[in-house]
Amino acid sequence: MRVTIPGLRGGLIPFAAVIVVLAVLPVLGMPKEWLLYLFLFFIYLAMANMWNLLAGYSGLICLCPAAFVGVAGYTVAIGTWVGLPFYLGIIAGAIAAVAFALLISFPVFRLRGIYFAIGTLVLPEVLKAWFLLWRPVGGVMVGRGAGYAVKGVQGVSLTEWYWVALVIGIASIFLMRIILSSKLGLGLAAIRDNDDTAASSGIDVFRLKLYSFVIGAFIMGMAGAIFYSYGGYIEPVGAFSIRWLLIALLATVIGGEGIKEGPIIGAAIVVILHFLLARYAGISLLIQGALLIIIMLLAPQGIVGYIQKTRAYRLLSKLATG
Amino acid sequence: MEVLTGLTTPIVFGILLGGLYTLIALGLSLVFGVMKVINVAHGDLVIFGSYLAFAAMTMLGIDPILSLVMGMPLLFVIGFGIQRFLLNRAFAVSLDAALLVCFGLSIIFQNFCQIIWTPFSRSLKPPYALESFSVGVVNIPLVYLLDLVAALVVMLLLREFLRRTYLGKAINAASQDTKAALLMGINTGRVYAFAFAIAMAFAAIAGVFLGLTYPFTPTSGVAFLIIAFGVVIVGGLGSMLGTLIGGMVFGLAQTLGGYFLGAVAQMFVAYILVFVILAVRPQGIFGR
Amino acid sequence: MAQETLLKVSNIDVFHGSFQALWDVSLVVKRGEIVALIGANASGKSTLLNTISGLLHPAKGSIEFEGKNISVLDPFQIVTIGISQIPEGRRVFPTMTVLDNLIIGSYNRKARAKKEQNLKMVYELFPILKERKNQLAKTLSGGEQQMLALGRGLMSDPKLLLLDEMSLGLAPIVLNDLYKALKEIRERGITILFVEQNVRRSLKEADRAYIMEVGRVVLSGDVAELREEEEVKKAYFGV
Repeated sequence: MRVTIPGLRGGLIPFAAVIVVLAVLPVLGMPKEWLLYLFLFFIYLAMANMWNLLAGYSGLICLCPAAFVGVAGYTVAIGTWVGLPFYLGIIAGAIAAVAFALLISFPVFRLRGIYFAIGTLVLPEVLKAWFLLWRPVGGVMVGRGAGYAVKGVQGVSLTEWYWVALVIGIASIFLMRIILSSKLGLGLAAIRDNDDTAASSGIDVFRLKLYSFVIGAFIMGMAGAIFYSYGGYIEPVGAFSIRWLLIALLATVIGGEGIKEGPIIGAAIVVILHFLLARYAGISLLIQGALLIIIMLLAPQGIVGYIQKTRAYRLLSKLATG
Repeated sequence: MEVLTGLTTPIVFGILLGGLYTLIALGLSLVFGVMKVINVAHGDLVIFGSYLAFAAMTMLGIDPILSLVMGMPLLFVIGFGIQRFLLNRAFAVSLDAALLVCFGLSIIFQNFCQIIWTPFSRSLKPPYALESFSVGVVNIPLVYLLDLVAALVVMLLLREFLRRTYLGKAINAASQDTKAALLMGINTGRVYAFAFAIAMAFAAIAGVFLGLTYPFTPTSGVAFLIIAFGVVIVGGLGSMLGTLIGGMVFGLAQTLGGYFLGAVAQMFVAYILVFVILAVRPQGIFGR
Repeated sequence: MAQETLLKVSNIDVFHGSFQALWDVSLVVKRGEIVALIGANASGKSTLLNTISGLLHPAKGSIEFEGKNISVLDPFQIVTIGISQIPEGRRVFPTMTVLDNLIIGSYNRKARAKKEQNLKMVYELFPILKERKNQLAKTLSGGEQQMLALGRGLMSDPKLLLLDEMSLGLAPIVLNDLYKALKEIRERGITILFVEQNVRRSLKEADRAYIMEVGRVVLSGDVAELREEEEVKKAYFGV
């Protein structure tokens, strides 16, 4: 029986099979290091899908993924100190990220183009400066400096975190497909092409962009919360680092901005890159920066986009649907 | 009158530091005015300039300001190359692509500096870096005064260049109306490359004075990019005076913020100011 | 009137992205002529001028100037070989002075050597520009800005002047002065191709004309012949 989810080519069965295989991997005794990289893959995948939603489909070049990640991460950390269990903490973190997004949407969404980009760039820096100063009042949390441990991490195994990450990664794919085949998706496509034309067709541009922004904040926040829950320690420089933007951006762009499958390929490549260059932190980033430039200039449509344009692919897809 | 005397120092410092911020912002403003793109790597390129001067000092024993004789041409050529070979192609793809390429450059320069010079904080400390002199109740470090003097000199040079030379007028024309400029026989591609190269030469100058004024690390660039952007917005495009005033606004915001809220709050105040300005009047107070 | 061909456009197709704007368009301008290119909005007139100026390139066909193929040249190169366009809407540089606007017109190498000479000519044609030479361009009236745009174009030392909808938004009195200036410009040896919507006026001022409709040339010839046909075209253009 062929069950079709909107936009999901090939049907549900093969897709479900893949998920089952991925879920079973830890039980089959996959080495911990590989599990860790798959864990990261799903985190990066969620972030990339959301960046794709914002930049590739809504025309919002959002430079503040770190803000959502950091806010959610700190929420989870604080949560563990006040006795909030992890899973609730993660959801609380995602909600905190959404609250933050709503708060700043008022000033930030009045900005267009480059002003919007710089406005979002400022946010993680402001948060970093703030959290470097912040010392909690009331003595609930104990610690020197600005970094805080996430308590109780030792009680949860990597396998559990792997499954949580798997859920958010897969969920982000489903979410994308559902959004894009919905009315929201159509509206976003119109906005991406031209804000003003979309507005004159009666589309509430502000509201649709806000929806995207909030959804992006939620998922990115959740991904960050999961990341820091596993990591067990959070401090401002890392939490609000530009590296989160680089991950989301590079994964989206390598795969193909505005293409549904793009982030999957892109996230895989980014994780592999991190794996290969793990020992050389500075060079790793330098190469990623160079890679970003190379892709933008030589293959702006990304790897998937490039393949989609080749004759072989077009032939294959005609055969598959014909 | 205690409060007032107390305030004099931060106010004077703020005005003088305004010179440094104006210097940093000039390159950004030039590129933004001509090519309508904010070079998000600008702060990192300024810091790169600081590191070049540092290298000249530590390896060759050359005074930082004198090292500009080497630093400016080097950054000029790098800037020309960046625009001619990278940004030019990026613009052909889209404006967003150009922004992302600048971001890639930002990452590259940050990490290049980190690999070569380590994440340790550095500063430029020639003998005169510790000099200061007294004017009334205020004890002014010499480098602060140099910041303002340098800003005024560079601004004057830029203004005359834009007014008197063909290339300067072409840059001005291209920033007002690209199509009309093309029809005047202006090779806008080359004009853009020169504008970017000049902006990078300014970044070299800004880097030296930044290094004389503050300690710096490979990741210091973002903070100064944000401030420079704020200065450009306050000053508006095409207004030199506006950029100078913008620089002073941020200099004062920082020193007064530090005075009232403590040293650690300085950057915070500056960031909030940028955000407020963006939200309230992004087209600037002075410009067209 | 011995007339060599200065500009020859042969069978060009031009696209804006995937939209075809010009279909198999051909046009000839001989040295010393004033030629009119007439048509309603969106008939492709501006597109044709922009293609000659190098802002667009033909997908098919060729453009020759003084016998040499120019269809692949960049816009700034087109100016250097002697074709100058006065764009639609004048597009003077608003915050530059009148004098600076004129000077920037002589940006290309060939024109720089003749800057003083051409400036003198422009001041003779349009004395008001000399009066206002230190004023910012945006403070000028519509008619004065058109004169400035014309003067600016002349500063590039052109052999062929392309004018895009000069009359837009200008009073008839001002137009008379401008058309008089065009005749003087022709006297000084510069060939003119101008684009207009107003059929009657155009046919009065030009030697020959081309009429365009939806991206094609539908009529062409000496203005005398065309005026005969104008009776028929009155309905067409609603003129």
